[in-house]
Amino acid sequence: MHHFSFLILLFILSSPAFSAMNHGGMIMDEKGMIMNHNPDKLPKDCKEISEDIDITVRGGHKFAKEFDGKMFTYDKRDFQVPGCARINVTFINEDDIRHQFMIHGLPGYMYPKGMFTIELYGKGQKTGSFIVPSRDYTYYIHCEVSQHTEKGMKGQLKVGKGTGDLDSILGLTPPLTPDLYLVNNSIFTWASLALSALIGMLLILYFGNMLVRKLTLKNSE
Amino acid sequence: MQTKALYYRLIPLTFILIALAIWFQPDFFQRASGLNLPAGQLPKLSQTLKIDKPCVDTHPEWRAAQVVDGVAMAESLLCEPDNPYNIAAFVKGMNNVSMRTLMNSRIAEDALRKSDDLDGDGDPDIIRIKLEVIELNGATPDSPGVFPTYDIAPGIQPGMWAFSPKLRGMSVKNFRSIKANAILRAPSPVIRIEQGDKVYITLENTHYFPHTLHFHGVDHAFQTANGGDNDGVPVTGEKPVMPGSTRTYELQPRHAGTMLYHCHVQTDKHLMMGLNGMFVVEENKPNNWVQTFNVGAGHVRYSSVAIKEKYDREYDLHYQSIDKNLAKTIQNSNDVREISKQMHRVYNMSESNENYFMLNGHSFPYTLRDALIIAKPDENIKLRVANTQHSGIALHIHGHKATITDYDGVSINPLAQITRDVYDLSAAQRVDLHLQTTNDGLHSYGEGAWLFHDHVEMAVANDGISPGGNVALMVYESMLSPNGLPKIREGALDDVFTSSYYAKEKPLWGKLEPGTLAPNYVHLILWGLLIGLIIGLFIFIVRGLQKAD
Repeated sequence: MHHFSFLILLFILSSPAFSAMNHGGMIMDEKGMIMNHNPDKLPKDCKEISEDIDITVRGGHKFAKEFDGKMFTYDKRDFQVPGCARINVTFINEDDIRHQFMIHGLPGYMYPKGMFTIELYGKGQKTGSFIVPSRDYTYYIHCEVSQHTEKGMKGQLKVGKGTGDLDSILGLTPPLTPDLYLVNNSIFTWASLALSALIGMLLILYFGNMLVRKLTLKNSE
Repeated sequence: MQTKALYYRLIPLTFILIALAIWFQPDFFQRASGLNLPAGQLPKLSQTLKIDKPCVDTHPEWRAAQVVDGVAMAESLLCEPDNPYNIAAFVKGMNNVSMRTLMNSRIAEDALRKSDDLDGDGDPDIIRIKLEVIELNGATPDSPGVFPTYDIAPGIQPGMWAFSPKLRGMSVKNFRSIKANAILRAPSPVIRIEQGDKVYITLENTHYFPHTLHFHGVDHAFQTANGGDNDGVPVTGEKPVMPGSTRTYELQPRHAGTMLYHCHVQTDKHLMMGLNGMFVVEENKPNNWVQTFNVGAGHVRYSSVAIKEKYDREYDLHYQSIDKNLAKTIQNSNDVREISKQMHRVYNMSESNENYFMLNGHSFPYTLRDALIIAKPDENIKLRVANTQHSGIALHIHGHKATITDYDGVSINPLAQITRDVYDLSAAQRVDLHLQTTNDGLHSYGEGAWLFHDHVEMAVANDGISPGGNVALMVYESMLSPNGLPKIREGALDDVFTSSYYAKEKPLWGKLEPGTLAPNYVHLILWGLLIGLIIGLFIFIVRGLQKAD
């Protein structure tokens, strides 16, 4: 009997479904991890799940190619969902290196450190779920691998109306501390400046003199 | 008088407009780009991009092992092997070679004479050597460029000096060229003699500044037999050898080893300009004809008897550096007083930097042409390494651990010899290495095209542009192409065999540079109008007030 239960245990442990460790909301295997996976626990302010929303996000170097001077990003960087929605994120990593889909600002009493994360150690995909509270808020999404956020891998999730846009999201908002680029000045730049100044000067002299003439006419009357 | 009041009332308006103009001032020269960054653009090159051939392969017939005038020299599979006629002349002496050999070398007939087998062991023991002082990339009043040109790497032509065997004929390749001929090069040649030889070395000062010869570590008396200066130090001996004059130094070294020679006039500057070379004293053996000059250092195609007994190959590795500011002092004037002032008084060695790093007179990628170490498995290779930079070097050979056999020309007790993979040499030091190509996981990790370089990282770049500096390769014959270049990835060298890259103009990996932004014309014109308004208003007020008076 002992042998038998041991064999069953061995069978269960060796099956792929159980090769991943699951501690609370933490699911880990050799391909990656999902942190604070939450398909069913409702936030305090939600009576029920308002809507089930499936989103698929791809991450990698190739999505940054349309943005000059950037290196990594997601294929979509701006999401909007209603309050109390359950979001089922399928994160697909198209690079051979590590990428994350990490979202911040969720309620700490049910998401330790306020985070939900899918991390892929290389090419592949994982799906995890989280339920957002009801209030309007803009959540910060990024990849926390060193310098990935800074070089383009950043997005936002608006719940309800959100609370404005975050800075430095590719194609959506300019950086808070932008780089400066040289202006490609030519002779035309300076010519247009000089010409407009000349026109401005002549205009004021013309209208000024007209005004003075009118005034002197009035005075002489 | 009503009009005058009007003009006064306009003055505050002018100030308001000025404040507005300051606030509204456009970013004339640089600004943020907003949502999308500007598209990349190709770099603006000062010259059209020209990629050099890694190997020109001028003399493939020089590579084979061959016998010239009875001198059987080793093969040299480099892209630019040494001229076999020169090797023969350097082994036999100019007085013992055929007319054909003389005609195929550019050496003067009295540059090297060997005679008198004093000890009767089958080799000459009186060696008479004549050295000249040459200048590379110096100033010329006939063109804005330098003359004769000597590129240490693509497009890099620092002003340099070198000792050279006494030459014959033109200093350039031909009468239409401004390029220095192959024998006119850095570093100063390795001088090789046999222990016990009576050596007379004459410095024929062909240069425009005074110079001397000083033998560093080579056994020599303080004075010559007739009481002349023999140490080359103007402070303790005779005045330096003046331009157009000569002096003969006398040596009979009793101790064998890897030593140095250099100029001892204004030594800080003159040594760094390149007036320094290796001086090798070979063990006394019967029938020991040695290759007295190794021009450009590198592979020794005719090793001494003692070296041939223990080693399969021998290489001289001479490491030098250049301060680009010192190098410039000879390139800006043809007035020797002005050059002397710029070099000896304006230039300050205590504020010196090293910008270029050379192995055997070339920096990477030109080191690939003539400074490879070529090997086969299970060989014993002798490396004589000298450092005449003012910074230390930390030489590392990828994939190998060699044994240090000699420090500064003194052999180490075999029990105390150290095998390691970084060999540190401070200024003027020499280290002899025994490099074994036994694939045993210690001495060698197997065949390959292994880099070897100084691991002080500024030395693997050309004025900060990497790869460059003294990077070279140790290549196993199985990895060597017929033209003497390593078999490496196709096009791997295209990025670096161009002067545009070392001129800091071409981005690495063929990438684009950040682009520029178009001027914001609307903003600019509005601001221009505003400025015009202010000026117009000012004129209007001044003229109006004058008229009203």
